[in-house]
Amino acid sequence: MFLVLLKKELYNEFRSRELILSMLVFGLSIILAYAFTSDVSRVIVANYAPGMFWAMILFVTVLGIHRSFSYEKEMDAFSMLIAAPIDRGLIYLSKWISGFIFLTVMELIVTIPFFKFLLIDFPPNPLMALGTALFINLAIMAVASLVSGVAMRARLSEVLLPVLMFPLVSPVIIAATKISGGIMAGDHYQLWQIWLLIIGSIIVIFGLVGYTLFDFITEE
Amino acid sequence: MTLFFQNKTNRIWCLAVAGLLIFNVWNIVSNTPMVPDQHWAQKIFYVHVPSAWVGFLSYLVVMIAGIMFFIKGDDKWDDVGLAAAEIGTLFMALVLITGPIWATPIWGKPWIWEPRLTTTLILFLIYIGYFMMRSFGGHIERIRRYAAAVGIIAFVDVPIIFVSVQFWVPEIQSHPQVEMAQQPSGILIPFLLSLGIFTILYILMMRYRIHVIRIKNMGVENV
Repeated sequence: MFLVLLKKELYNEFRSRELILSMLVFGLSIILAYAFTSDVSRVIVANYAPGMFWAMILFVTVLGIHRSFSYEKEMDAFSMLIAAPIDRGLIYLSKWISGFIFLTVMELIVTIPFFKFLLIDFPPNPLMALGTALFINLAIMAVASLVSGVAMRARLSEVLLPVLMFPLVSPVIIAATKISGGIMAGDHYQLWQIWLLIIGSIIVIFGLVGYTLFDFITEE
Repeated sequence: MTLFFQNKTNRIWCLAVAGLLIFNVWNIVSNTPMVPDQHWAQKIFYVHVPSAWVGFLSYLVVMIAGIMFFIKGDDKWDDVGLAAAEIGTLFMALVLITGPIWATPIWGKPWIWEPRLTTTLILFLIYIGYFMMRSFGGHIERIRRYAAAVGIIAFVDVPIIFVSVQFWVPEIQSHPQVEMAQQPSGILIPFLLSLGIFTILYILMMRYRIHVIRIKNMGVENV
């Protein structure tokens, strides 16, 4: 059933391309804003680049996850979805994994303009950067999907989502900045491995909490 | 349902707690030793730490009330959760006010990204979101479920936030790393007294607030 739900999410997106496209354009706009407002030395920009990158991802995530749940509001599709005899935790899992896929696709496209526009050198180990980014995306989406499940059907959900999500996701952003900073500086893995453990624990904890709580949150 | 202060026991409780609070202030000012280098600034410790204790205790109550609300489905647990969230946020605000008051003369600046203060600030912000959701989130039945979920998620996030901030700025260890058991009795006993009095105050505030919320809910249901 999880695969059916995931397929629904992916099919929806690849038919309309609304979500990835809006995330992408928003991401590029943020990079432009960064480029216009950080006209300082390359060294200073490079030092701040990991934080700037993950702040951009955070903003883009809010846009994407809000849109993803807004689909369900149209014609009250979500009520029909939860009326189906399925484990509601699987709805959370499908939102989480589909969000992770969309975020990763967007990130892959937006990374090159980020480095080129801000005149920053690519990380010395791109594969390691990619692997850790996947891990971080999984953690961001674990938190974002759960918060969206809470905020989505509330009134003024577009305001509540970032207000609730940003403080909750702060450990992920701290860890992501530290990991990316370490990779960009060419530091040894042992210097930032603790942050991977923190990201891993967030994935496990929020995954379990989200799976368990979604059943109660979506009750009618 | 009668008003809270119409009950004689509640009035006695209230007077007793007021007396205890006055005694606490007098005890802190008169009977605690001056700590070298900190002087009067250290006195705030007797308010700051008990406020933090009550704040975190209150948020633990919000989480337990959230779990119980989901298990039992009884609105009474939502009343408990809301009362605890309000009181917890009040005490967290006190922590965020008294922390910088202490830090300004001791660290030379009102704020540094110390793990406990940062965790308190992040939790405080999460609960601002919690109240925003309760205020303009929409249908009351749904909001009760969402509030219970946010209470659980917020408390689950606490250890992760704390550990992250601790590793984020390991060089910041200026916060007094005190072992209370090793403190002289001149500090330890007034501190424990203050902690106890704040806990009693918390219990009274919880009882009062739950009472008021229930009266308010009865009014809403009768409209």
